[in-house]
Amino acid sequence: MAELKNCMFPDELLYHVAFNVWIRKNDDGTLYLGMTDIAQSMAGNIIHCRPKKVGRNVKAGKSVATVESGKWVGPVKTPLSGEIVAANNDVENDATILNRSPYNQGWIVRLLPNSYDEDSTELVSGEDAISGFDAYMAEKDMGECVHCEGFEG
Amino acid sequence: MSIYKDAKYMDVPYEEKLKLFNEVKEDMRYDYSLYGCYECGICVAACPSARFYDFSPRVFAQIMAREDVDTFYELLNDNVWDCSQCYSCTRCPRQNNPGGIILMMRDAAVRAGLQSAKDALRAYSRIIYKVMSTGTQVTPDMLQPDFFPDWGTDVKEVAENLDVWRRAIPPETLHTTELAWDVSEKTRLELYMIWKLTGNLELIEGIDEGIYMILEEIMEELLDDHGYDIDDFENILEE
Repeated sequence: MAELKNCMFPDELLYHVAFNVWIRKNDDGTLYLGMTDIAQSMAGNIIHCRPKKVGRNVKAGKSVATVESGKWVGPVKTPLSGEIVAANNDVENDATILNRSPYNQGWIVRLLPNSYDEDSTELVSGEDAISGFDAYMAEKDMGECVHCEGFEG
Repeated sequence: MSIYKDAKYMDVPYEEKLKLFNEVKEDMRYDYSLYGCYECGICVAACPSARFYDFSPRVFAQIMAREDVDTFYELLNDNVWDCSQCYSCTRCPRQNNPGGIILMMRDAAVRAGLQSAKDALRAYSRIIYKVMSTGTQVTPDMLQPDFFPDWGTDVKEVAENLDVWRRAIPPETLHTTELAWDVSEKTRLELYMIWKLTGNLELIEGIDEGIYMILEEIMEELLDDHGYDIDDFENILEE
């Protein structure tokens, strides 16, 4: 797992830097989508996460969930168009999972992309992801990631 | 020209400042907000913000009356969000309303999408979201340690056991935690129509694109359920 200013980035994931989300591809063509460690740090203590309903079609750049923390509210944007085939009920019931385990237990939706090849051009991994997030943090004047609920991956 | 030697924002084109200045002066409320100022200072003496910030409601009345466009722009960026909008300043013997002038200036700053307005309103994102999506402003679940650190250590316990604390107060509140009280679907529907028809929803787009996105989707879903098309509101008005 790569680390940048106390922010963790699992090697096997793809990232969209501007949307601050990660993508995990599944064998069946679907993919999991969630918030990065940077996103959960910026939000602070997350108190609500409301994923969109299963069956909804979402366009690239639009929201798949609304996340509300003590001091912020905003959308979780998807870089890929597609149908939401599953939503994580666990994060709906206990949104602090997003702070604690943004990459494993904290997946937000499972998406069946309409056109993966076309929509995935802005996804990055490895060194590209780290340098992209480094620039992102500098732009947002962000010092380091904070794990207010601990970090379980 | 600004009356101040150390005037800021002199790199911003005068025409841009003048446009915003004229927007405020053309506001239908403006003529009832400024009648002339003889600098008695009663507004400043009554102003709670003046006690804590480098802020003076009198300056707003003076600058608008003098038509000092450069200083107007400086106030628009650096001071306009320091006002607590309590209207204590309306005890002016000339019946000026500096708080009202400031409200019109805030409207202009938001419409123009000024960075200073975005910065000032960022901390209020949840409040904007709650007001516009539910009609209730401050909700019990806003009591969070990182949002109200000034409440001290107790706020952590309150936040963690909010539903218990809510059950301890009278039943008229319906023991809600995510809202100050239960809001009916009909109320929300009316509210969304008001935000849409008055242009307030579009106003948010220039300030916070993320909130705009989620508000539009929430509204669209409820309006859809009731057979209304959010993009076809002019027809609803005619009906």
